[in-house]
Amino acid sequence: MSIPKLELVSLAKEYNDGAVVAVDGIDLSVAPGETIALLGPSGCGKSTTLNMVVGLEEPTSGDIHIDGLSIVNIPPGKRNVGLVFQDYAVFPSMTVRQNLAFGLVVRKAAKDDIDRAVDEVAELLGMGGRLHVRARDLGGSEMQRVAIGRTLVTKPAVLLLDEPLSNLEAAARLTMRRELRRLQSEIGLTIIYVTHDQIEALSLADRIAVMHAGKILQVEKTSVICERPDHVYVAGFLGSPPMNLLAGEIAPGASGAAGPAFTHGPLTLALPADCPLGKGSYTLGLRPESLRLVPESEAPLAGTVSLVEFRGGDVVVTVDVASVKLDVILPATERPAMGQSVGVDFDPDSLVFFGGDSSRRLDVRPMGRPL
Amino acid sequence: MNDTAHDGRTAPVLALENLTKSFRGKIALDGVSFTVPKASLTVILGHAGAGKTTTLRLIAGLDQPDAGRVLLAGRDVAGWEPKDRDIAMIFDNLALYPNKTGFENIASPLLIRKTPRPEIAEKVQAMAKVLKIGHTLGRLPATMSGGERQRIALGRALIRTPSLFLLDEPLSSLDAKLRIELRAELRRLQSEHGYSFLMATPDFNEALAIADTVVMLRQGKVVQIATPQALYDQPVDRETARAVGAPLINILPARLDPEGKGLLISGWRLPVPGHLHAALAAAPDGFELGIRPENLGLADLSGADLTGVVSDIEPLGLKSVLTVKKGEPEVRVLVESATARTVAVGREVGLCVKFPAMLHAFDPLSGRRLTA
Repeated sequence: MSIPKLELVSLAKEYNDGAVVAVDGIDLSVAPGETIALLGPSGCGKSTTLNMVVGLEEPTSGDIHIDGLSIVNIPPGKRNVGLVFQDYAVFPSMTVRQNLAFGLVVRKAAKDDIDRAVDEVAELLGMGGRLHVRARDLGGSEMQRVAIGRTLVTKPAVLLLDEPLSNLEAAARLTMRRELRRLQSEIGLTIIYVTHDQIEALSLADRIAVMHAGKILQVEKTSVICERPDHVYVAGFLGSPPMNLLAGEIAPGASGAAGPAFTHGPLTLALPADCPLGKGSYTLGLRPESLRLVPESEAPLAGTVSLVEFRGGDVVVTVDVASVKLDVILPATERPAMGQSVGVDFDPDSLVFFGGDSSRRLDVRPMGRPL
Repeated sequence: MNDTAHDGRTAPVLALENLTKSFRGKIALDGVSFTVPKASLTVILGHAGAGKTTTLRLIAGLDQPDAGRVLLAGRDVAGWEPKDRDIAMIFDNLALYPNKTGFENIASPLLIRKTPRPEIAEKVQAMAKVLKIGHTLGRLPATMSGGERQRIALGRALIRTPSLFLLDEPLSSLDAKLRIELRAELRRLQSEHGYSFLMATPDFNEALAIADTVVMLRQGKVVQIATPQALYDQPVDRETARAVGAPLINILPARLDPEGKGLLISGWRLPVPGHLHAALAAAPDGFELGIRPENLGLADLSGADLTGVVSDIEPLGLKSVLTVKKGEPEVRVLVESATARTVAVGREVGLCVKFPAMLHAFDPLSGRRLTA
């Protein structure tokens, strides 16, 4: 097995003598040439993690390896990691060439080597014709390219990107996403990409590590994480809109009922007699994509449309079923009115259950068949 | 008070008539007119610098227009002080009182108006419930997350019941997820209480999701006023089509073949959709074809409308965007990720147009959408 490019081992960061745990013992292994996204809301510990890798913050415990060697005692400047963050930190009065050369000039590299490295990176970024332009005359996405290029010239072992696109306007963000994907495939960089935006994580990363409250809850290939969230939090974070999650109980059905029933507050859903889930607490997941609106008389659930969000190609309809809000994705042509009474139906095979205590996904189909 | 012909009871909450404003010789607003009906949510959509904030400031009375009128419930408010306009304005990053608790921050507009204490407590609790910040009421802003602070700020603005709320990018500093949750809350609040909202945003997703009416602002001018669906399906011009929708609409230079039977797009050829026949016949020098990425789908090579080679696959969760090229022209195609996994970069694929009636044609010079 090849040695991981970057490895985080039980990495933790506490503040105020442990009163605040920003990063709570995380393990993560990043293969050479892999792009991994740390995805989570603000305050989840993702930036703190990055800062420890860069050396801006010291871990409370745990270790960080690059190419199998611990770097925690190496000063930030010598770790051979490149950091790019959302405020471009490009020198406005310098030209693109001077900006790109900066890291090497500081390291006192030979002039010829600097020129060659800068030309190479400028070519890679499509900025070859803009080397003489002053940074302050650049557009936002060009500025961000220079910031990335400035890091690339130093040939870092690992490139760390902290919300690098969040200051760009929507159109520039799309261009840069494509640009970054091309860069990854052309130069095979190992990248840690920190973001709160699932679309960026999904479009750029090979794998996604979802963080919440200082912990990594799931690390999974980008291509399948949306379809197979392993933890309630991940299920509630990914997807637009995410899965509908109902915390409730499974109990034996009333006399006469065929099987057990799942209850969430006032809402009850009959399960078949051969449902393999025993009595206890569970969270039921219902995907907005697998729900549909049907006449009330035919539906297992009935409620009132409380919100209709148009998205262009489709609409997200929120149906209040008792006190529960269910999001349903429908084609734009099937748009109900706010306040309309509707029934909600679903494909039984699309139900997902999570353990009430573990919050982990249970690998059973409630309708009896194993996955 | 300068009453006009409008009747205050039936007049819209807000009407702008030909509002014009320059700053240091530079035109910021150029004849802006639109109305906000009572109990509606109107969104001003535009890029940075389009004039969104200027418009809101003129309505609030923080700046004075060079020309044009602001009518509130039918009354020209020229010369009225901001405080007399019965308007609440909500900015991005509203400053909270740092030494006051969440409760005191939300309650502050009511305290100033000397509302009785029990009524204040009741109103603040109700507002906190809606905004899901009950747990922060006893805390100081410094101990709250960014999202909690922004919700306190929203609560403080919404605790009053002015005749019009102006919201200037109220959600832009929030996390992606929180932003989506809060915009739904704002919409619910607005529609349940019958508030009148005028909100400015650069985010088309936000505009489409919650607006009754979108006012598309570009370089100080109103270019289109429409429902979200009409804005998306019948954009007035190419720029509007590009500003609304992700992935970006495909815009391809095209012309009619000599017999007028096919659309020629470089190496591609499509049948002429019926609704565009007349318009295209009148565009002899060519036009630009607009195809939304979700209006294209994969098809068998043999029966395909278009063929090309996959040059990029962008996974977006359950959906993915393919870029398909044929020489120069390329198109983005939105497909299910399960479908995307059946192709690879470098592979030749066939594409079909799902709804020919949803194809657009634009004048290449003016950018206007061509209609028969």
